[in-house]
Amino acid sequence: MPLRLEAPPSRWLMPAAWLGLLLLAGWAMPLAEPLWQWLAPDARQLVYQRAAFLTLLGRHALTVGLAAAITVSLGLAAGIAVTRAAGRDFLPLVAQLASLGQTFPPVAVLALAVPALGFGLFPIVVALSLYGLLPVVRNTIAGLKGVDAAAITAARGVGMTAGQRLWQVELPLAAPVILAGVRTSITINIATAALGATVGASNLGDPIIAGIVNGNTAYVVQGTVMIALLALSVDSLFSVWQQRMRRT
Amino acid sequence: MPNRVLFSLAVAMLVALWGLDAASVAPNRIVESTGYPLWQALGWPAAGLATLLWGAMAALAAYPARYRYPALLALGTLLLVLLPFGLMLAAQRLISADMPQARLSLGPASWVMLFVLSLCLVELRLTMGLTRSRMALLLAGVAGVWWLCAALWLEPLALVQEFQARSALFYRALGEHLALVGIAVSASVVLGVATALLIRRFNASQSAAFAVLNFLQTVPSLALFGLLLAPLAWLGANVEWLAALGVSGIGWTPALLALTVYSLLPVVRNTCVALEAVNPAVLDAASGMGMRPIQRFWQVRLPLALPVLLEGVRITTVQAIGLTAVAALIGAGGLGDFIFQGLGQAAMDMVLLGALPIIAMALVADMLLGALADHFRRGDAP
Amino acid sequence: MIELRNVSKRFGETPAVDDISLSVPRGKFCALVGTSGCGKSTTLRMINRLTAHSSGEIVLDGQAIGAYDPVQLRRRIGYVIQDTGLFPHWSVARNIGTVPRLLQWSSDRVRERVEELMPMLNLPVAEFAHKYPHQLSGGQAQRVGVARALAADPDILLMDEPFGALDPITREQLQTMLAKLQARLHKTVVLVTHDMDEALRLADHLVVMRDGRIVQQGSPLTVLQQPANAFVESLLGGLERGLKQASLARVRDHLAPLGPASADAPRLPASYTLRQALSVMLRDRCERVIAVDEHDAPVGELTLGRLVANARTEQADAAET
Repeated sequence: MPLRLEAPPSRWLMPAAWLGLLLLAGWAMPLAEPLWQWLAPDARQLVYQRAAFLTLLGRHALTVGLAAAITVSLGLAAGIAVTRAAGRDFLPLVAQLASLGQTFPPVAVLALAVPALGFGLFPIVVALSLYGLLPVVRNTIAGLKGVDAAAITAARGVGMTAGQRLWQVELPLAAPVILAGVRTSITINIATAALGATVGASNLGDPIIAGIVNGNTAYVVQGTVMIALLALSVDSLFSVWQQRMRRT
Repeated sequence: MPNRVLFSLAVAMLVALWGLDAASVAPNRIVESTGYPLWQALGWPAAGLATLLWGAMAALAAYPARYRYPALLALGTLLLVLLPFGLMLAAQRLISADMPQARLSLGPASWVMLFVLSLCLVELRLTMGLTRSRMALLLAGVAGVWWLCAALWLEPLALVQEFQARSALFYRALGEHLALVGIAVSASVVLGVATALLIRRFNASQSAAFAVLNFLQTVPSLALFGLLLAPLAWLGANVEWLAALGVSGIGWTPALLALTVYSLLPVVRNTCVALEAVNPAVLDAASGMGMRPIQRFWQVRLPLALPVLLEGVRITTVQAIGLTAVAALIGAGGLGDFIFQGLGQAAMDMVLLGALPIIAMALVADMLLGALADHFRRGDAP
Repeated sequence: MIELRNVSKRFGETPAVDDISLSVPRGKFCALVGTSGCGKSTTLRMINRLTAHSSGEIVLDGQAIGAYDPVQLRRRIGYVIQDTGLFPHWSVARNIGTVPRLLQWSSDRVRERVEELMPMLNLPVAEFAHKYPHQLSGGQAQRVGVARALAADPDILLMDEPFGALDPITREQLQTMLAKLQARLHKTVVLVTHDMDEALRLADHLVVMRDGRIVQQGSPLTVLQQPANAFVESLLGGLERGLKQASLARVRDHLAPLGPASADAPRLPASYTLRQALSVMLRDRCERVIAVDEHDAPVGELTLGRLVANARTEQADAAET
């Protein structure tokens, strides 16, 4: 659970601490040799060597970041479109699709992306974007539909255009719900991206797969620690962001 | 009023039909396949007929007619049913007798067609207000026709060949998959409901328990499987009765353990939420009527919480079906085997053989458990 | 017979109910009136032990309620609340049969009882028995709530703002229905309400509460004529008090023999209140009305002078006692 910090500057302490820990872990992984020795006494190699952890971290963040950029822009656009008068016809279908799509297992989506798109970074980004799209669309729709009708009527009453209503009233009011959707989407994707290692995208999933294949627990732990720290850093960033939003 | 949704979907299908490859043929399993557009795959008369049918769909959606929704439903179902026959025609035209190893695959256009047609059915279900069970019946009928076609006439279809080459393996994997999901979900429901009840009793433990469960969910599933390798291997090697049970670092033990741990959070969360969300006035009335606490729990609180609780079971089950695929990496078996072997051998049809049943299983579980929750919701306000 | 002797309830340090005493004889209708947060609901909930009292004594039929098993006690007491608290997963019939079922009546007997009660509350069995609570209107749901409270034929009925959430017309219909039921069943009723008109209309005994204390109690007429302080007076509607008083007396009790000049005077049922009679006079700009019985036969007349004079004598009577 993220801590609730009262004084504004120290609110960033938590995410900064996790991020610092993440970078430190990425840099210092080879130094913790005694720990790996204890974890995997029989292993020939104690620390994953094929790529530096900071490189893997960079690739992992890039994959998730690219997917998040696609997800957020597409998801917001779709959510906004179907809640406008012009796109309202599509609302039931899109809403149904967003909940139905959640039932598609990520591995299966990933596996289906490969025949269509080949191996490497591209299919995993596409699969993650598709999978992450659903929470964003769902929360955008829920957030926009949850805006108090009186506020919209009032906005119309003071003479705002449709665009002004959207940007100045509806989106700011729906923002906390939308942000929660983005948070879910990205957190899920940080973990799911590890599966990308099975389709040839190199990221923090690599040491885990290598560890499983070679029976080397040290590798698995190294990958897991990095992914967990990344997830916690991002999650605590979002938590600060959401708190700020609630306060305004 | 024109139905803009169905019209757009029909137009999108027409565009895909002519813009993308309808089918592809490979001389054998390993060689790269060649794609064929609609008119080459089906020949001009059949391609024309297909275009006509989809055009009719667009026209029906655009022009308000009295029975257009039933007609659209019939047309959509007909197109789904015709799909395997189209494939048969394509197989006849594209594969000559001197290529016994040749295999036919669905092209991008066909996949788009399948996907968008199911979207049409979803949209029709929503507009026509059909119940889930009717739609399920309809889809079961379509699936039956496909199965029949695949079993009897679609020999050259790559997916069918993959299946026939390892049908015994397939059924075993399916069984393993179902067993793993079934056991993990049952265990997590029992443990999860018990945990939720304990958490409610000892209120102070609530945030701590959720912190732990939330953290466990951020651990990637892959990692959780991997992390269990060493401790379970050690247990299997050092504790005799566990070894006798088959406990080891790879195989079903770590898979079941990880799946159960993963499934706990949705069950615990939904159980807690469901039990707390029961209208206090109803509970007050129950006490006021003279129900004992235990009667109040069994007769009022639990039945009212059941739909939300089942929602948790639904989420857990769907999630477990997907995660079990990952468990194949640690030798637990299941349909994930096909996915990872297929990826390893770059045999995409084998990947499909694993992925498609998993998706189907998830959708069916989603539908069944959703219907069950609806059933228990009957008394509640809709 | 319900008796509260020096009963208090504290939540932590703050007293919610502070040293109140009151007694409701068997078959009487007692109304607890006051603004929200005055402790009237807490008082009610202490009687069926949904809330435990901190000090004092609550006695039911000569026995302190502590001596009863709370569950058995509640099964003997009907309980109606504002939000109806109907069980949303049970049909109307099942809801009404809740307490008999808890008392392990045979299913035939439960069904008989349910089918006997439903018509009494204007709920046709064929139409309502199999409906679920969400299919009912507010008034129908609350009638089911009352039926459920009466199902095991309890001697005591506790009602916590039962009609508070209903629209004025439905509320009045249900009040009329409740008054009729009470005239027939003679339960010992404690009703909590913030609606003074409802209390005046239904109660034999009025208890006005404020900040956890009883400000005044007595018959509705006494309270109306001699409000203990400005608070009670404001609850009674200040200047409109005279009208409320007139609404407590019936036309039939204040009739004079039919006079000769009354042929064209407006007619009204003798069961009307003096307030309604006054309203008819104001509406028709006349000083005389003719009262008729159920068969529309004239039974006497009432003049404006007599109406005013009668209200005055009642006041004098009350002042003497």
